[in-house]
Amino acid sequence: MKLVPTLFLSEAADKRRRWVALAVAAQVLFILLVAGAGSAISSYGRAVVLRTSPVDPRDLLYGDYVTLNYDISQLPRPLWRGSEAPRRHRPVYVELRPTPAGYYEAVAVYPAEPASLPADHVALRGWIVNVWRQGLQLRYGLERYYVPEGEGRKLERRAGRQPLLVHVSVAPWDQSRITRVETTPKQAERP
Amino acid sequence: MSRKFIEIEGQHWVEQGIISPEQHQRLLALYPEQQRAIGLLPLLGSLLVGLSALSLVAANWQELPELLRLGLLIGSMVAAYLGGEHFLQRGFRSMGIGLVALGLILFGAGIVLTSQMYQLVGYDVTGLLAWVVAAVVLTFIYQSHFLFILAVAIGVLAQGYSVGSLSSYSYASAGLMAGGLGYYWWRRPDALCGAILATGLLWQSALLINHLHIKITWFFVPAMLVYAAGDWQPNRPAARALQAPPLVAAFLFMLGLGMFGEAGSYTDQLRPHFVGFVGALLLVFGLSVAGKRARGHLSSAADWLLLLPGYYFPGGLPLAVAALVVLYAYTGSVLYRGYQEQASDRVNLGTALFILTTMVAYFKLTWEFMDKSLFFLLGGLLLLGLSWYLRRRARAIPPSNPPTH
Repeated sequence: MKLVPTLFLSEAADKRRRWVALAVAAQVLFILLVAGAGSAISSYGRAVVLRTSPVDPRDLLYGDYVTLNYDISQLPRPLWRGSEAPRRHRPVYVELRPTPAGYYEAVAVYPAEPASLPADHVALRGWIVNVWRQGLQLRYGLERYYVPEGEGRKLERRAGRQPLLVHVSVAPWDQSRITRVETTPKQAERP
Repeated sequence: MSRKFIEIEGQHWVEQGIISPEQHQRLLALYPEQQRAIGLLPLLGSLLVGLSALSLVAANWQELPELLRLGLLIGSMVAAYLGGEHFLQRGFRSMGIGLVALGLILFGAGIVLTSQMYQLVGYDVTGLLAWVVAAVVLTFIYQSHFLFILAVAIGVLAQGYSVGSLSSYSYASAGLMAGGLGYYWWRRPDALCGAILATGLLWQSALLINHLHIKITWFFVPAMLVYAAGDWQPNRPAARALQAPPLVAAFLFMLGLGMFGEAGSYTDQLRPHFVGFVGALLLVFGLSVAGKRARGHLSSAADWLLLLPGYYFPGGLPLAVAALVVLYAYTGSVLYRGYQEQASDRVNLGTALFILTTMVAYFKLTWEFMDKSLFFLLGGLLLLGLSWYLRRRARAIPPSNPPTH
């Protein structure tokens, strides 16, 4: 009589243990996927350098990351290539081309991924944050850079005086991430 | 009964001849000596070792190679889950659940730290959503109240971050809390979990209203939907706990309306399109009343007095007075039901609400017209009279009456 409940219990425990194993494996897999996505973007992506616009240095550093504001975060309205007027929260593709100074600048903003681009041009995905008469405000998911401890203050001090050059990897599957941030070399300061 | 008690007291009983020594032994055998959890010293020792390892890792985190960091994150998470299983199998449930909760927290930390490592924390709530999913799944697997509460907290955090930092509302996270944890609570109703779940759902609703930029009174449609769910739940104590947070919100809102409703500028913010809003509210009301009928406690329909949309009144004194009338009607209904059902806790609650409402009403209606000293004199007299009256009423019911609901 006493054997039945314990047998039943151990069966239930076995079943539960299987679920636990599955749940834990899924969590490990998820973290590995995040890491995998991160390293895949830098190995398969195209390297692009973006220039930041100077911002109020006091507002730059939040705890362990700095907030970056790019030249291409605000674009003039004539670059818009859509047939309809741009709307907030819409995803867009920004066509970038390299400049002699070493960083990329925006050429056009498309509502959908452009079919063909010149070989040295890159399409970067962003979202419209705000629309006004003369321009568009965009975000790219590249506005935060997590800095090694202690380097945030240094970066912040320099960024207040001169723009930073941010190295970004743009993957063919639309994801992008920052790989490196450097302070501007002297010649790039005077365009 | 504790074994120690029988060991000591049993000796006296044997000496006094109440039980024989054999009977004492047999009694003792009923309470086998608990396996001592773990020695305290090894536990403290391993805690210290763990802390030193943690501080060593934290101090050198940036210098560690990426793969090692990843390994440490995953390794500690898996170790926590394995440890939890280990202790659960040996019957140390709270220790086991504690370690599982630690594993869940480490999963969240792992997502955040890994995405920071690869500069991926952009504008995406996927990682947080995965954390919420893991929390809900573990709650179902381990059927633990502690994990349930942790899951609500994680859901609250995820939605707060999504709305606050990413300015997007995560419908999936709200749905997981309402559907996943709601279903869990429905099957295993519990008072504490009900109150916490309802609070979490109110938070989700408030953030949704904020995100959609609609009139704040819309908040009461989802809030009262939570309340209506409580009406269908057969377990009454758990259901009352689920219904408390929406009622508290409605009461405080009404109180605020009574206090500040006079300023007409405000009330414009409170009036959604009449047909749509009142229609939705009536729909929820119907659902709630149907539940009350089905479960046989129709008398609690008086709770809905708090939802009377008085803010469609023109602003100014009429609105404040209307709000106060509603508050008195509600408080009166709580007191009435308390006396009717001889439930002393409800009488106490009704009394407290009555005093609160009276204070607001008094402050509201007399402050501007009366000399201040007279204000305090009359206020004091009113409260004294009230307490005398209520004490007299309270004597009418025996204090030891168990609550009926």
